[in-house]
Amino acid sequence: MDYYSNISFTVMTVIAFIAIAMFLYGMFTNIKKWSLGSTGYGLEPSNGSIIVFIKTLITQIRKEGHGQPFLTTFVLDILLQRRILRRSPLRWFMHITIFVGWMALFVFSLMMFAVEIIEMIGISLPHALHPEVLRDTMSLPNDVFSYILLVGIIIAIVRRLFISDVRENTIAYDSVFLGGLTIITITGFISDGIRNGGFWGFGIVDSTAPPAALFHVVISLLFCLAYIPYSKYMHMIAAPLALLANKGGE
Amino acid sequence: MAKRTPSINTNNLTAVQLMEIDACTRCGECLNWCPTYDAQDQPAGLAPRDKIKRWKSYMDRSYGLRAKLFGPRPVSDNEMQEFSDDLYYCTTCGVCGTVCEAGINTVELWESIRANLVKRGNGPYGKQNMFPKLIKEYHNPYMKDQKDRLLWIPNGIEIAEKADVVYFAGCTAGFNQQVLGVCTARVMNKLEVPFMLLGEEEWCCSSALVRTGQPHIDDVPRLAAIHNVEALEATGASTVMFACAGCFRVATIDWPRLIGRKPKFNVVHIADLLADYIKQGKIKWEGSLNNQTITYHDPCHLGRHCGVYETPRIVLDNLPGAKFVEMDRIREEQRCCGAGGGVKAGIPDLAVGISSTRIKDAQDVNADILASTCPFCRRNLGDGRDSVYGITGTDFDLRDNPENEMQVEDMIVLVAELMGLSTKIKSQMEEE
Ligand code: SF4
Ligand code: SF4
Ligand code: SF4
Repeated sequence: MDYYSNISFTVMTVIAFIAIAMFLYGMFTNIKKWSLGSTGYGLEPSNGSIIVFIKTLITQIRKEGHGQPFLTTFVLDILLQRRILRRSPLRWFMHITIFVGWMALFVFSLMMFAVEIIEMIGISLPHALHPEVLRDTMSLPNDVFSYILLVGIIIAIVRRLFISDVRENTIAYDSVFLGGLTIITITGFISDGIRNGGFWGFGIVDSTAPPAALFHVVISLLFCLAYIPYSKYMHMIAAPLALLANKGGE
Repeated sequence: MAKRTPSINTNNLTAVQLMEIDACTRCGECLNWCPTYDAQDQPAGLAPRDKIKRWKSYMDRSYGLRAKLFGPRPVSDNEMQEFSDDLYYCTTCGVCGTVCEAGINTVELWESIRANLVKRGNGPYGKQNMFPKLIKEYHNPYMKDQKDRLLWIPNGIEIAEKADVVYFAGCTAGFNQQVLGVCTARVMNKLEVPFMLLGEEEWCCSSALVRTGQPHIDDVPRLAAIHNVEALEATGASTVMFACAGCFRVATIDWPRLIGRKPKFNVVHIADLLADYIKQGKIKWEGSLNNQTITYHDPCHLGRHCGVYETPRIVLDNLPGAKFVEMDRIREEQRCCGAGGGVKAGIPDLAVGISSTRIKDAQDVNADILASTCPFCRRNLGDGRDSVYGITGTDFDLRDNPENEMQVEDMIVLVAELMGLSTKIKSQMEEE
């Protein structure tokens, strides 16, 4: 009944590591690319060592003057996304549901993955943290955040379909992003539905549960992690950094 | 086959700016605010978002993963030139940065990419390429002799030998819209604030060079910054006062960066000083606006770039007989007049197109007077007013305003008038 162990755990682990490796390599290439810039306005470009970016970012974040404190930016502008709220409450609602849903599910999956690995290694965990028990405990929050994510995605799709401005300005780059999100969410619902025979299982036989779950996990890992540095998902990392570097922005 | 080299380099961009290019979420908010995108009927190429996307694609084609594995993919000369031209269709007003949900510092980004494009041979745009030569040779963009820096001063104005304040008049007030220099000086005299002038030692602040991506050419802005800061410090004054938003921005933001330290004096805008005097009840008014409606256009270089929003409003709201109203799009969300970023010199039609929209904002609130605190806004809003009202010809400074048309004026001229001071410049006085 537990989430992962029905699908081959080895396969899962291998895929997870491949995804992490792809993510790290992609991040490395991006940071290398950014490091081709200079360390300050009007200075010569640097040699491209990844230290350059990290140093420049830290220096800029720490520089005094114009702008708000680090913590204000972190809480109000990154976590609560105040800048979007100021502009459009609807877009803020869409963004915050996707953000919160995504982050929560990501953290839940990490938790599950961690307890399963710990169990596998043979370390005994307190009862509440046994994979099966934890899975049951998390089932409700899992559902809640999945629906939150789904609401955000539906708003995003509807905006793109029905608001002409948004539709006309959508390019493949945006569609791949939204498409990926949609597939992850829907496969999550379906694999869960098959497993517990609920609505989202669409009556698919139980025996398909493990491969369905595997499919969901693989594509989540690929989209949620591996694909980030190579795509529009990169803004999930770069935008918060930009906000920090510019002390909350103008 | 020879190995292809990347079509672009990263000259003038900082590592953090290169990251900011990847931070754009493509939310499209900037499209709702950009004045040039709006004035040109919203062509995709002028959208700030699109400019970021294109530079990102050039970066990726040159340095991305694929470029690493299979070699860089070229960007054609045409594509590059088109991008460069689009990037100069921008007043560097910065509203795109204000509304950007990713907090991208767009103005710095545009200026840095412009400098990169200038080095590459694509920028600047149109007549803007004259700036470095003129400013280097004449120390002002109007090809005037430095010896004539103080020619604008009419009889009766007192310039102190030694004082705590230096008035940095700037090239435009000194040579081109002298009424601003004259009114500033008269108001200061009347308020008994002694001030010095740098005269020949005042060099162009070089704002136009920084804004148009030409700061590196012969190092003019840096040398000018060093010269001006040293000359100002040598006076021993503790305060340097500006009545021009462009110079004020340079002194506040660019000088410290260009010389690598904070100057030893305070930088203030005349609006700050006047607001202070008003609060202390030290201004004696001698006229009235007779219940005319007045509204205020925030110059982007004073407001959004430097955060001075309140003091000009205090001044205007306190003008006797003034009915002060606010327009749509003010303060940090202000709509640019269209003159900045080299647009007035490089693409004058675009500048007037944008300012006409601003005039309509003022018409919407039935303003009789549209006031600002920047010579460039004053000039360009005046041109916009003329275009909207179908007025042609004659020098802006010398033309009378027919009664039924909106008056576009600088705050300092209104203040001088209402303090009972003459707003006549030297040539007008001599004619009489
Ligand atoms: S700085 Fe102003 S003119 Fe330039 S792209 Fe941004 S909004 Fe448009
Ligand atoms: S507002 Fe900022 S994040 Fe949004 S599209 Fe424009 S540049 Fe990109
Ligand atoms: S002239 Fe005035 S509004 Fe226009 S760009 Fe300059 S500061 Fe901005």
